[in-house]
Amino acid sequence: MADKEPVVERPEAGEEEEDASAAAAAGEEEDTGAQVAPIVRLEEVAVTTGEEDEDVLLDMKAKLYRFDKDGNQWKERGTGAVKLLKHKQTGKVRLVMRQAKTLKICANHLVASTTKMQEHAGSDKSCVWHAADFADGELKEEMFAIRFGSVENCKKFKELVEEIAESLTKNEGKEGEDGGSTAGLLAKLTVSEGKSEGSGKSESTDSGKVTETKADTAPAE
Amino acid sequence: MALPNQQGVDYPSFKLVIVGDGGTGKTTFVKRHLTGEFEKKYEPTIGVEVHPLDFSTNCGKIRFYCWDTAGQEKFGGLRDGYYIHGQCAIIMFDVTSRLTYKNVPTWHRDLCRVCENIPIVLCGNKVDVKNRQVKAKQVTFHRKKNLQYYEISAKSNYNFEKPFLYLARKLAGDQNLHFVEAVALKPPEVQIDMALQQQHEAELAAAAAQPLPDDDDDLIE
Repeated sequence: MADKEPVVERPEAGEEEEDASAAAAAGEEEDTGAQVAPIVRLEEVAVTTGEEDEDVLLDMKAKLYRFDKDGNQWKERGTGAVKLLKHKQTGKVRLVMRQAKTLKICANHLVASTTKMQEHAGSDKSCVWHAADFADGELKEEMFAIRFGSVENCKKFKELVEEIAESLTKNEGKEGEDGGSTAGLLAKLTVSEGKSEGSGKSESTDSGKVTETKADTAPAE
Repeated sequence: MALPNQQGVDYPSFKLVIVGDGGTGKTTFVKRHLTGEFEKKYEPTIGVEVHPLDFSTNCGKIRFYCWDTAGQEKFGGLRDGYYIHGQCAIIMFDVTSRLTYKNVPTWHRDLCRVCENIPIVLCGNKVDVKNRQVKAKQVTFHRKKNLQYYEISAKSNYNFEKPFLYLARKLAGDQNLHFVEAVALKPPEVQIDMALQQQHEAELAAAAAQPLPDDDDDLIE
């Protein structure tokens, strides 16, 4: 679960038992809004994810950052599922990451022979790389960092990307060879997150903590 | 409503007005959705900033033009003028500050003078903070005025999609509307030369030495 539960309040001494109305106040399902006339009529449409012709090689939860050159700092890009997807016909592999809940694209780029994963200096659950990203529908040079929930997951991701890039390098050296061998090599590379999705609450941190960061003068998108 | 200097889109769009006291997290909330980053530094909004936010739903794409308004009186600018033709709204308060909740009725009154019978979501932000001052059961204004209420955290992303989902459902008159995967377009091939790759690797090595924000804040399970 990407989002954190709110802090659980301890009952105060002598506090009266909450009535049903107060308990429902925190409920999410109840609609307390006014009845308003809809202003658009929308018809259900077939959902196209863009992944229909691809096999999933890896699907893990992670937190993605992009490097802001102007501010010389990493900035969050999204938290959600990162996938490595292999095209069924071409054998090409790309990385697609989506923000949890809104399911918007955070990253979308091919894994190239030149893709190199470097370790991040401060964390063994993170790695960094450069990519020509197509998340917004236009190519943009980005430096990404990704952080996983565990060292093992980070290792799996890093090693799989490196294996794919390496296999591309080998195939580029064999002029004229078809993509079948690439597909064959990649067919064996399938990694998935083994443990089931837990919904345990994690300890919150004080957002009031003052952290010195350089001012970002870049205009908003 | 299309703005004078903005090109329209060929899918439904709505003017969403965001109001509330200064420092409650209006701009941070919008930025979280726009770029994924969490902006810690408080920089008061001057007048208004309008940002388009797109979502993919099972009924196609929709857009909210987010009118992120000044919360501080001295930066208010045209104030009520920003509300004209608002089709939905968010009133933001900070659960760590009683005063911001106390001022919600004033924001609601001013908003409703201009926008009649529009769906409104009341948001209590910063629920990730331990020492909250406004408890969930103390929030009752939404029931009196037929608003929907969500406890959110722009920092932890808790419930961060809910205000938009609620408003989209109301505007479309469809309680079953939900967010779906945005289409991941096929990224084009990129040819890269050796010199440029070496430059990328040097930049990446330097970036890898920069710390990731909130390293201790483990949000991935």
